[in-house]
Amino acid sequence: MNSQPDAIPKEPSIRPSTPGLGWDEFSKELVEFFASVKLAIFLFLFIAMTATIGTVIQQGERAEVYVQEYGENAYRWFLRLGFTDVYHTWWFTSLLGLLCVNSLTCFYKRFPSVWRSMKQDKVGVTMAFIKNMKQQAEIPLDNTKESVAQQLVHHFVSKGYRVLAKNEPGEVTVYATKGVMGRVGAHMAHLSATVIIFGGLLGTYYGFQEFGVCLEGQTYHIPRGNFDLKVDKFWIDYHENGSVKSYNSTLTVVDGGQSVVTKTISVNDPLVYKGIWFYQSSYGDAWDQVEVARVNIKDKETDKVLKTVDLEWQKEQTLPDLNLKLSITDFVADFAFNSTEKKVYSKTIEHTNPAVKLVINERDAVQATPWLFQQFPDLFNIKESKYQFELVGYKPRKFTGLQIAKNPGINIVWTGCTMIVVGITLSSFIFHRRLWAKIVPGQSGVIVHIGGTTHKSQIDFQKEFRKLTDKIQTFKA
Amino acid sequence: MMKSLFLFDMTFWLYLAALVLYIGYLFARRPAMTLAPAGHLPENFDERDGAWATQLGQVATLVTVFGWMLNTGALFTRAFERMQHSGTFAPWSNQFEAMAYVSWAIILGYVLLEMRYKIKAVGAFVVGIGFIAMGAASLLPYRYQTAEPLVPALNSYWIYIHVSVTLTSYAAFAMAGGLGVMYLFKERAERLGKTTGFYAAFPDLETIDELGYKAITVGFPLLAFGIILGAMWANYAWGGYWSWDPKETWSLIVWLIYGAYIHARMTRGWEGHKAAIYAVFGFLMVIFCFWGVNFLLSGLHAYA
Ligand code: HEM
Repeated sequence: MNSQPDAIPKEPSIRPSTPGLGWDEFSKELVEFFASVKLAIFLFLFIAMTATIGTVIQQGERAEVYVQEYGENAYRWFLRLGFTDVYHTWWFTSLLGLLCVNSLTCFYKRFPSVWRSMKQDKVGVTMAFIKNMKQQAEIPLDNTKESVAQQLVHHFVSKGYRVLAKNEPGEVTVYATKGVMGRVGAHMAHLSATVIIFGGLLGTYYGFQEFGVCLEGQTYHIPRGNFDLKVDKFWIDYHENGSVKSYNSTLTVVDGGQSVVTKTISVNDPLVYKGIWFYQSSYGDAWDQVEVARVNIKDKETDKVLKTVDLEWQKEQTLPDLNLKLSITDFVADFAFNSTEKKVYSKTIEHTNPAVKLVINERDAVQATPWLFQQFPDLFNIKESKYQFELVGYKPRKFTGLQIAKNPGINIVWTGCTMIVVGITLSSFIFHRRLWAKIVPGQSGVIVHIGGTTHKSQIDFQKEFRKLTDKIQTFKA
Repeated sequence: MMKSLFLFDMTFWLYLAALVLYIGYLFARRPAMTLAPAGHLPENFDERDGAWATQLGQVATLVTVFGWMLNTGALFTRAFERMQHSGTFAPWSNQFEAMAYVSWAIILGYVLLEMRYKIKAVGAFVVGIGFIAMGAASLLPYRYQTAEPLVPALNSYWIYIHVSVTLTSYAAFAMAGGLGVMYLFKERAERLGKTTGFYAAFPDLETIDELGYKAITVGFPLLAFGIILGAMWANYAWGGYWSWDPKETWSLIVWLIYGAYIHARMTRGWEGHKAAIYAVFGFLMVIFCFWGVNFLLSGLHAYA
């Protein structure tokens, strides 16, 4: 400690003369160990050190990534030590748990004395005790005991101190204290770690976080909230220089068949309904739908483009001059065929090999449903048809990526956070000061012996102490 | 060229001038011959300068204050420019602005310290760090210095408070780091028996040590508050308050490092020399958290 933590001289701590093996001794040792500041320092530094691992080694990647970057041998060690997901390993969480136990034990062991010094304090101290303090002075005054004591008490009170005084035949003792809230603050911080971690665990076990890919116009059921969510619209706003200003989705909550709330969410502005939060998280081009597709109709004989049509998704378009009815019924962004199920699907969500399924009705005679590939225009040829069809472009439908989350522990976490900030702030800016003065008869008048202690902020205290002694010298009879 | 950049440049030169003046002041100081007034402890940091030194010191303070005012003006101008470009005005929205803001906060902290404790010698170290921060900002390529609109994820009211609080805590740790260096200098001088000239102006070791500790106790709650504001923002923007992203993890690491320091100070032997080295080490970690993470590690915060 910077100075005497407890100004009251303690009796030498009573220890059993023979090392006992009983439960009492053991539990005392245990409390001693868990309440020790040494353990706290060790934990702070050890957690700090191990937390760096996850910032250097990428977390939660696929095995190949690690093997490629660090080699197979290192990867095996990573798995053994949990380095690919450090923050969720048993040993890292145990360190956090140990920190909680540590700070709680510290609270248990030390808070009672702080509490007591809020309630009552010892006034009576010995003269030697005052003379031993770091800040101490002896001021002879031409005055009476009672008058000096009264002015001193008055001065302390005006400075916001709590004062206790004891008038004895030979001497007056004045005790003044201030700023115990600083120590209460420290202990508030000690409780907060556990509160935060408790709230965090609650969120992990009883909350959820999901990601939803949603298309405009569609309604999705949210089973965890037992209501429906309709995505009315998704769009992007731009700045003048072309960079993105915001991503926005208009969402409507449908609960019990009724529209309850409609809100436009954007990246920093989520929708909250029944404790479930909907965040604008990402967006992209849908891989199984388009808004419109542009198709060229060519004459097979002349190979000339007769017409270019924009076909809307799943809407039949009639072209009387060519005697055609066309519609787009399917789309895949990255064409693939599952031969066992005989189904076309999109291999990835990237638009690497886009294709549309075109439904053709020519002169009510020829019926065909070919897949048109943008990159391979000549793949399909409909024998009976006069025309050749080519996919020349399309406008994909956008999907909006919504993060859907519920966290029942969040308010506990915020409570803990408030405690930690308020606690540390109190402890940083308010320091606990205690002063004792003994006024004893001197050669002419009295001598004031004054001493004081603080658990930190020595220079401020030194200044304050100097002002105080200056003030005492001005005390008039 | 933007008006604010001109003002930032001017600030840079003024801080340089202030630094030179503070160093000059240290060299001009006469050995302090303090006599303790009767009944008092010797006032170790009471300064009794030769006329030369006094004037130099006064000019140094004036130039610092003036530079700080220009720095303020530059930040306001930048805020105004941001307002025109993109709907927000926080003048700490990219690496350059953040540096300029940090040096503003360091200098403000220094001026307050000088006003309160009347110690000018600290200026050579702390104004030095403010100057380096400003200088590092000016060395960034031009494209980092402009006020590009914010990407949607950052375009939020949270950026005003989260970033400014965090950066202010960095400034406090910078101050502690500067004081730590000063402590080590003075300690070395004492060991070698040099008590006159340059080192005479330094306050005594205990005072430097206490001031450094104070700076950390200011930075510690600020950083906690900053981290928590970041968590609240993340919860609001992404649906999770903590995702172990490198930047947030590193700020937690820095906070833990100072947490260890605060507790270590309560045990014997963790004042003075060790504490000074630790404060310098902590500040290096802050620098890594601020610069290193943005440039070396990937994550949501790498917006520079
Ligand atoms: C979990 C995070 C923790 C935080 C945020 C925290 C914060 C603080 C702060 C701000 C102080 C005041 C320091 C001062 O007065 O200079 C303090 C004091 C203290 N801390 Fe912690 N601490 C934490 C954990 C621990 C742990 C695990 C221990 C284990 C022993 C511990 C032991 C102490 C002790 C003994 C004091 C002095 C209390 C007093 O003055 O009565 N702290 N702490």
